[in-house]
Amino acid sequence: MVDVGSASASSSGSNQNNSNPGEEDKKDERMFECNICLDTAKDAVVSMCGHLFCWPCLHQWLETRPARQMCPVCKAAISKEKVIPLYGRGSSKQEDPRNKAPPRPAGQRSEPEANTHFPGLGFHGSFMSFGIGAFPFGFITSSFHFGDNRPFAATHDTQSAEEQFLSKVFLWVALAFLIWLLLA
Amino acid sequence: MANIAAQRIKREFKEVIKSEEVAKCAIKVELVSDSYTELKGEIAGPPDTPYEGGNFVLEIKVPETYPFNPPKVRFLTKIWHPNISSVTGAICLDILKDQWAAAMTLRTVLLSLQALLSAAEPDDPQDAVVAKQYKDAPDMFRLTARYWTAAYAGGPYSNPDFDSKIRRLTDMGIESHDARVALSSFNWDLERATEQLFS
Repeated sequence: MVDVGSASASSSGSNQNNSNPGEEDKKDERMFECNICLDTAKDAVVSMCGHLFCWPCLHQWLETRPARQMCPVCKAAISKEKVIPLYGRGSSKQEDPRNKAPPRPAGQRSEPEANTHFPGLGFHGSFMSFGIGAFPFGFITSSFHFGDNRPFAATHDTQSAEEQFLSKVFLWVALAFLIWLLLA
Repeated sequence: MANIAAQRIKREFKEVIKSEEVAKCAIKVELVSDSYTELKGEIAGPPDTPYEGGNFVLEIKVPETYPFNPPKVRFLTKIWHPNISSVTGAICLDILKDQWAAAMTLRTVLLSLQALLSAAEPDDPQDAVVAKQYKDAPDMFRLTARYWTAAYAGGPYSNPDFDSKIRRLTDMGIESHDARVALSSFNWDLERATEQLFS
């Protein structure tokens, strides 16, 4: 990478008509040096405080000190999410450098949006659907139980009798509820 | 050595050589090994300090993880300073520990060390004896630091009184460095220094 940088410096330097083209061009080159590896920044990103880095360099710096994420130049607070990738015209792929190895960390999970309109209505709706959905099933199972329980009741006296009575009560309650639903 | 570390040291090395501080003879770096893992630094004692006129040599060890971790630096030249051990040369400076940042370079480290010589931090000492003298007897500290600069770093200062006290001890078979340390630690009180050396 060092050779590439110096080669491009000399070739573009010869095209310019400055009194000191090599020097001028070197200055331009140095403006785009990564502040960590001191080489021309590749997969360049810039921090919110304006400092330029290679993404792999900055990533490694942030990994080295996970507890204190600060800019290596000015010690301002920085984070992976708050750097801006730079896309020059010459770059081959217009791809977020942060997606390259090391890959960008997985997306952060955010809390679902709370229903701010009528929380009471929402509760009511779910209650109603439960009532309609669950009771017919309750009705079927209790009626099946009603038929199956008879021989069972003969062997288990008091407890099963109570259960039988309860299931009957529930059956009637369910029926009453269904009738009320139909009428209403 | 990791590629990035070697690459960077090479670049920094050039940077230091070209810097204007080198032109003013304020800082200097030299390679010790070809691998760029070990270097020798040199800083001039800043003007208007007891270190003026001295040249202080530093040992710089570059870790594999450089520049993500700081270089390991210590003084090879003996120095009398609250934040530098008079025995080992170990340095207490935040940027060489937790305040290190990857954008710092050999040049900025050497300049920071030079700044440390001008502005000691006695409340965060490396050498407790020196720090105590710095706070309790600042005049004595200045004389001692200047005397050490002359003895070890090539400073121009001379103090016949201190010389004669050291000679008294060397005549008793004490090494001149040990005599200097003992006398410096006891504010040049010959009696207490002798007591400590022979106890």
